[in-house]
Amino acid sequence: MKTYLAKRLLLMVPTLLGMTFLTYAIVRLSPGEPIEAWIRAQTGGMDPVSTFQQAEKIRARLGLKDHNYWGDDVETHLETLEKGGDAAKGRAAAELERITGKTFARDIDSWKRWWDANRADFEKTLIDPLEKALNVFHGYGTWVAHAVRGDLGKSIKFETSITFRTPDGGQSPSGNPFWLFAERVPVTLTLNVIAELLIFLIAIPVGLTAARYRGRLFDRTSTFLLLALWSIPAILMGTLFIALLCRGGQGLEWFPVSGLHSDDADKLGWGAYLADLLWHATLPVVCLVYGGLAYLAKLGRASLLENLRADFVRTARAKGLPERRVVYHHALRNSLLPMITTMVMILPAMIGGSVIVESLFSIRGMGLLVVDGAKAHDIPVIMFGTVLYGFLTLVALLGGDVLYAWADPRVRYE
Amino acid sequence: MSEAEKRDDGAVLSGPPKSYGTIVWGQLRKRPSAMVSIAVIVLLGAVGVFAPLLGGDVPIRWVENGKVSWPVFHQMTNLEYVALAGFLLVLALPLTMRLFRRGGRGVGTSPFARAMGVHLLVWLLLAATLFLARAPDRAYKAYLDRRAQADGAWFPPIAYPRDPGFKELVENFYEAPSRHHPLGTGRIGDDVLIGIIYGTRTALSIGFVAVGISLAIGVGLGAASGYFGGWIDLVLMRVAEVFMLIPGLVLIIIILAVIPASFPPIWAVILVLGVTRWTGSFRLMRAEILRIRGEDYITAARALGIPTWRLLLRHAVPNGLAPILVGATFGIAGAVFLEASLAFLGLVQTASWGTMLNDGRQHLEYWWVWASAGAAIFVTVFVYNLLGEAIRDAIDPRLKI
Repeated sequence: MKTYLAKRLLLMVPTLLGMTFLTYAIVRLSPGEPIEAWIRAQTGGMDPVSTFQQAEKIRARLGLKDHNYWGDDVETHLETLEKGGDAAKGRAAAELERITGKTFARDIDSWKRWWDANRADFEKTLIDPLEKALNVFHGYGTWVAHAVRGDLGKSIKFETSITFRTPDGGQSPSGNPFWLFAERVPVTLTLNVIAELLIFLIAIPVGLTAARYRGRLFDRTSTFLLLALWSIPAILMGTLFIALLCRGGQGLEWFPVSGLHSDDADKLGWGAYLADLLWHATLPVVCLVYGGLAYLAKLGRASLLENLRADFVRTARAKGLPERRVVYHHALRNSLLPMITTMVMILPAMIGGSVIVESLFSIRGMGLLVVDGAKAHDIPVIMFGTVLYGFLTLVALLGGDVLYAWADPRVRYE
Repeated sequence: MSEAEKRDDGAVLSGPPKSYGTIVWGQLRKRPSAMVSIAVIVLLGAVGVFAPLLGGDVPIRWVENGKVSWPVFHQMTNLEYVALAGFLLVLALPLTMRLFRRGGRGVGTSPFARAMGVHLLVWLLLAATLFLARAPDRAYKAYLDRRAQADGAWFPPIAYPRDPGFKELVENFYEAPSRHHPLGTGRIGDDVLIGIIYGTRTALSIGFVAVGISLAIGVGLGAASGYFGGWIDLVLMRVAEVFMLIPGLVLIIIILAVIPASFPPIWAVILVLGVTRWTGSFRLMRAEILRIRGEDYITAARALGIPTWRLLLRHAVPNGLAPILVGATFGIAGAVFLEASLAFLGLVQTASWGTMLNDGRQHLEYWWVWASAGAAIFVTVFVYNLLGEAIRDAIDPRLKI
């Protein structure tokens, strides 16, 4: 078992490297470098030349020797504007205006004149695709080399974390992705673990009853209703909740609409604090629960059906045990096994999917952090988020396997 | 007929043996949920391909100076015609199959494969002819404003522009459902029902094309991985593992956030969903091929000297496709679902139900906008899930015990 664990842990390394490389390549090969994206976000559309110089300054300060890909973009869009279809022309013109801050609309001649006049400033940014690809490898190598030494880079979009302060009372290291995530991971984890427990508690009796009365009314209606629930998009369910049950909506005003705490939560005692948290978390948790329910109840039903048909259940019945004992002690116990393993294994997928719920109810969780980071081309945040998600998934898979071996003595890993 | 040929249930064993597809179809026909969902899916497809005849401001028939013209058929793009032809050819498949079955011999290629081949050929020929020879007339003419002067003009039942101008915006924005606008109007005075009708196209094209791409990748790589094994298997499994480990939604979000805005949004969604969601069919196909590889008929085929590609395409892959069919049905539902989520997060701006739902969410009091879009997503996702469940039950041998 120990050897097996060590082997599995070692195998995590290449997988994590593959994942992070995939993500890094995707982000880096896309046009629009992070620094420019940041400057653009700060200033709105401004003169590209001064943006370029500003970016150079920032690069010099951060010690980055990086290329700017704008030249490529401009040339591509000019070509589209000249030869593309009608819709493509509109988009190319909009992109050019966004990049350069000029408003020539679809006037191709004005654009060309401007480009000829300013081309020299972009000369060094026109690099060939091979060099671009090589830059990806170089940049990724640099990221890995820094990351293993604990230097995760600085977030471009997020300055400081709110919760974590250094022991001397100052702010946490500015923009360190680790602290940014450290603040948000517990929020997402809490929501999802509560949701998983609830799913488990509801799915077992439903699956059990459906399996015992297979083909009868309860079985058929529950299967149908759960499938219908599964088909309701979380966005629709959340919107319905907000419209009908939340403050500021159209119906009953029972629940708060955003966040996980009231504004004055800090001043509450722990009991009131917990009640406040539960009150805020009810609707988000319901949104997380209803979808997974169908999947797990179906799994429970299938595995119970299989066990109820097994020889050991026939033996138990044959030796005259009461039906309750046969079902609960013999069949159910064996059916719980695959359910628990599945629960552990689907946790990462649930955490990944909870970004919708976080966004609906304005909860500051890790999903929203990754979305905001991705929108801003914030490489340090994206990369650390990928590492975190990957690590969580790997640990969950391993945990599922280990749990399986622990619960079922027939399973042995060598 | 001797007694020995009669089965317990009284059915008589005669004629050629039933194919796997016929057995599954027979199982499916017994399930009302499967039949209803197939009917709804056909209906959704019809709404999608016939959208210009159902809603819009281009008349079907137009009379000017005594001259009769059919503007909507001139304005439809080649792609629209190709989709329409594809839809009709799929619907006509059972008829052609019956034709082949009646005239065919008992052995050889199945009627389904033959009918499929003929229809595919017709479809490809038509598509080639259209794209080579036809230029649609897409010039905008304000037919709707001159409606009163044209006697004998036929408009679609919901005759409003898809993209209304300033006048509509000022007069009609966020109008509650009424006789004129059955589902009300939206933010810019647009008719919500027209939005729903055209959203069907987006939803179905994203569903079918994205799942098609992911199936092609997954089945191809899975078959190679399972059949050849060795280092090919090792490398492909690691690649699949990498894709599986990043939660799907997170990976899609990262890719979509960095795709340049000049890329057509609908193709961005299709491509992203296609290249990230192939791991499911990859694993299924690999497992099936590993199982099939040891079967006698594969050994026999190899002993006959059949080339590897033919062996894979004709003998191995078709026998492993059944579980993938279930996955594909759920995959279409999942793609519609995901597109809605991505539109909701503001990562794509397609003319889709998701975008409508997201726009409507800003003004909850105008419930008809988000409720219509949400209901459309729910119905589509639900019928595909129902069908997937039904197919899964139909091909699951354990249920026949």
